Amino acid sequence: MQEIQYLNEHLGPRYIGHFAVLLAFFSAILSMVSYFLATQYRSEVLRSRGWQRLGQLSFLAHGAAVFTVIGCIFYAMLNQYYEYQYVTAHVDGQLQQRYIFSAFWEGQEGSFLLWMFWHVILGYVLMVTARSWEKPVMAVVCSVQVVIVSMLLGVHFGFGDSLIKLGSNPMLLLRETVNAPIFQQADYVELLRGNGLNPSLQNYWMTIHPPTLFLGFASTVVPFAYAVAGLWTGRHREWLTPGLRWSLFSAGILGIGILMGAAWAYEALNFGGYWAWDPVENTSLVPWLMLVAGIHTNLISRATGQGIRATYLFYLFTFVLIVYSTFLTRSGVLGDTSVHAFTEMGLEAQLLFFLGFYFLLSIGLVIWRWRHIPVPEKEEATSSREFWMFIGSLTLFMSALLITGSTSLPVYNELREWMNPVYDGLTLTDPEAHHNGFQIWIGIFIGLLSGLAQFLRWRERNFSKHLRTFLLHTGVAVVGAAGLTALTLLWIKAPGIPFKLMLFAGWFAVWSNLDYLIFFLRKDAKVAGSVVSHIGFGIMLVGIMASSGNKRIVSQNQYLMEGLTEDEQLARSTVRLYQDIPLGMEDYIVTFKGDTIEGMNRKYFMDYQRVDPDGRVLEEFQLEPNVLYDKGFEKIAITNPSTKHYWNKDIFTVIMGLPPEEQSVKIRQETEDSLKYRVFPLDIGERATFRDTVDIPQRNSSIIYTYTVGLENFSRLPVHPDYVAEPGDIGMGAVVRATRTGGIADHDTTASVALVLREGLLYHYPAQINDMSLRVKIDEGVFEQLLIKDADLNYREYVLKPGNSIVIDDHVITFEQFVSQPTVDHFQPQEGDIWVSALLESEGQSMQPVFLIRGNQPSGVRDEITSLGLYAHLVSLNPETNEATLRIATAPPQDAFAVPLAVAPKSYRTDYVTLQAIEFPGINLFWFGTISMMLGLLISMVVRIRSRKAARDASVLS
Amino acid sequence: MKKSYILAILLVVVAAVLLLQTGKATSEYANFDKAAATGEKVQLVGTYVKDKPTIYDPLTDPNYFSFFLEDITGNEREVVLLMGKPQDFEMSESIVLTGRMRDDQFIASDIQMKCPSKYKDEEAMIKNLTES
Repeated sequence: MQEIQYLNEHLGPRYIGHFAVLLAFFSAILSMVSYFLATQYRSEVLRSRGWQRLGQLSFLAHGAAVFTVIGCIFYAMLNQYYEYQYVTAHVDGQLQQRYIFSAFWEGQEGSFLLWMFWHVILGYVLMVTARSWEKPVMAVVCSVQVVIVSMLLGVHFGFGDSLIKLGSNPMLLLRETVNAPIFQQADYVELLRGNGLNPSLQNYWMTIHPPTLFLGFASTVVPFAYAVAGLWTGRHREWLTPGLRWSLFSAGILGIGILMGAAWAYEALNFGGYWAWDPVENTSLVPWLMLVAGIHTNLISRATGQGIRATYLFYLFTFVLIVYSTFLTRSGVLGDTSVHAFTEMGLEAQLLFFLGFYFLLSIGLVIWRWRHIPVPEKEEATSSREFWMFIGSLTLFMSALLITGSTSLPVYNELREWMNPVYDGLTLTDPEAHHNGFQIWIGIFIGLLSGLAQFLRWRERNFSKHLRTFLLHTGVAVVGAAGLTALTLLWIKAPGIPFKLMLFAGWFAVWSNLDYLIFFLRKDAKVAGSVVSHIGFGIMLVGIMASSGNKRIVSQNQYLMEGLTEDEQLARSTVRLYQDIPLGMEDYIVTFKGDTIEGMNRKYFMDYQRVDPDGRVLEEFQLEPNVLYDKGFEKIAITNPSTKHYWNKDIFTVIMGLPPEEQSVKIRQETEDSLKYRVFPLDIGERATFRDTVDIPQRNSSIIYTYTVGLENFSRLPVHPDYVAEPGDIGMGAVVRATRTGGIADHDTTASVALVLREGLLYHYPAQINDMSLRVKIDEGVFEQLLIKDADLNYREYVLKPGNSIVIDDHVITFEQFVSQPTVDHFQPQEGDIWVSALLESEGQSMQPVFLIRGNQPSGVRDEITSLGLYAHLVSLNPETNEATLRIATAPPQDAFAVPLAVAPKSYRTDYVTLQAIEFPGINLFWFGTISMMLGLLISMVVRIRSRKAARDASVLS
Repeated sequence: MKKSYILAILLVVVAAVLLLQTGKATSEYANFDKAAATGEKVQLVGTYVKDKPTIYDPLTDPNYFSFFLEDITGNEREVVLLMGKPQDFEMSESIVLTGRMRDDQFIASDIQMKCPSKYKDEEAMIKNLTES
């Protein structure tokens, strides 16, 4: 077969990208091996240093290669090289530049690259700062890089009969990934268009959420690497200090990343909330919980030497859980249980290896070193801080375990199905209730502990001495928290003991940590971060209770349906709003004021008025929820909510549905085509009457209506509320009066309709009369009456001089004169045109057929006197004799003609939306609490980095 | 750390018990007969029956959408979904409903649809990509 020489392909990025992927892979292997050997030979300084040098150089090269791959993809995306499958899959011509990053990490390959990018950056930082830990830590980081780069290799091995696919290369051309006839064309590149970015990702949160989350993901490798390094080199205590700094960083960033995801869900998605216990959310939360558990045992280990084993395990598991999360979201195993998992891509085996390897490595190392890890002889006292902190860590661990267990149900199903193909999968009937049921108790317990533990002392030996202070502070905190809980209950509801306890635990954590802050901050600045985090946790508990436990559906359903449970009634949470008709919902009056379309984006304007029971308007505001159409306006791609923020509550509003005709141009066309129009030719003042039978929905009966349509007025000037005049329009307008009798009430409406011919296309401006479900328009046939075709006319040719007259069918027609470059209604000259008209006169009326030379081509424009039925062309002119060659035809005069009105009953209204409105009280408490939790972690990190610097400076001075 | 060990084991036991409790919160996907027998809230899977009446009229009630569903065993029942008609409903390959049987109707308060991936074959994909 002959090779096709393709035209216009840009293969530069492909070759560079391929080479860079390979370079990244092999340099990562070299770096890993070098660092590994440098660690193994650590007792021989020179030999070790040589390997370390090689490891550093190859990691620098590895980083450069990773940046090059990313650069190549961006280059191809920015230039819209659609021959690349990654570009066709994620970019299109309409993609705004600011979403180019979202498009980059929309795909699996892009997000792997983002992950690797952060590993490289973290690796560079470690190379500068890790000092004696650099060798083993970097060996681990490099090993992870090797595994991730292998996901992008795109190498295929023939292995016996089976083909083993190693990775999926983002730099492949489209023609290399799919086989289609189009690739037989050498110029196929010209024909390709992009697929574009998923509209739900066209949001600024999607620009900042993934990089932050992936920095959090990536940074968990550092505590993991330190733990492995500690076990490997046997320096079980020394790694605790740098490990803690890094895990504080990691937990802070990962937490912020998760919160950004929650904020995106709340601000941009339509499910009305910030957390839904979706598997993808869960699997990012679980490593965070594990990491936080690790941070606490790490603190214990550093303060007392206890719990080093637990710290090892928690940090190791954190990373393994990150890999597990990657496996779940990217292998397709979650299938239909999650809305935002990736689809499978043939990487399952590799991902499973990734998971298995690091899991076994972690377990193996811990078992190997278990007896070697130092454990203090003396047990901690039950009244010591470390004891209760340890309990707290175990609780977090348990929480992580429970969430992982429930989220792994699809994995369990998959295993069972693998063993027994007829096995029916299990499913959580109500995941939210299930998770909430567990986690509320964990939240209460952690809330109480995080307050209580602050009042205890490290390595307590003599609690009886401290007992008085402890009891005093705890007692005051209990009373304070109870008081605050009582106050909170005046504002929000917390039905049942668990919810009340949750509020109490939240306030208890806030109170006791504030107390601790006031009494201890002077003594030890390090506690600031801890206090900020724990206060944040307490406030978060209160915020969850307020916003989720007390969310109020404002758009309560207006229609009663009998026999439903309370939950089911609550599910009926949308209302229908007609344009300009206010609707009262709870304490609001909402009016749908209108909408605008800009590109694919259709924005709706909803006026809200909050009223008191007497109907007085307390405040007014407008919300602008929008819907985004897909490319061809064939369906709605996504609806975005709009939220009014107050300091103490949010009003959330989202469009739940549009009339079918507004959802898709196809349906609109189908509906228009399915309407049964009756055409009535009417003179001004004339009316027509007809009857129609209309079914009453869900009632098995029908009703007969009598409609009357009358033409009130007709003019050559189109007038319609939606019509905006443009130059060159030819149109007409009519005023129509429609009445309907029969049924409960009679209706009588007057409306304008218009029909416009613009650049060869007809535009209808119908009148939709909603009171009687009637649609009226001017039938297109009107043009046939107005514009008589030349082919239907019987022309005869005449040669005339100015001043000559002829008689045709009783009409005396005088050729008055030639007019050079006249300005006439029926002809619009262009630049470079040469045109002349012949002014013809008959019975006091005139017409000017035009002879035109445009670009050396002669042609002409007809003119007519319709009231006389005269039509004329100027065929040519003879300058020497001053004669004009004219073609003139006559037809019956068109003075009075009937306007054909097309009328369709059963045309249902389309000026409505269905809408959901929810009030979230105290949601800012949730955001404030969670953000301060993460900030606290970062504050602790900064404090510790500073104290490290201070210690180093001191040691330099001495 | 003896005490911690004991506590750790205790917590693991609690976690295990709670996880086993999860067993109660889970169920196999039900069918209409099972749902009718228990009368409780269940999840069931099925496919949309295209040639039976499908009613959604937001002008009458925006929270009432009824259609017929065929469950795994081949039974067809009317389903009343207590919300608007979801986007792409007609295109769904299979439907997961959460709800209960009430007389002959299945009252669903939640729906999840599994839609076929965007392109059924490469030809369709290329066709889509080359349309401007």
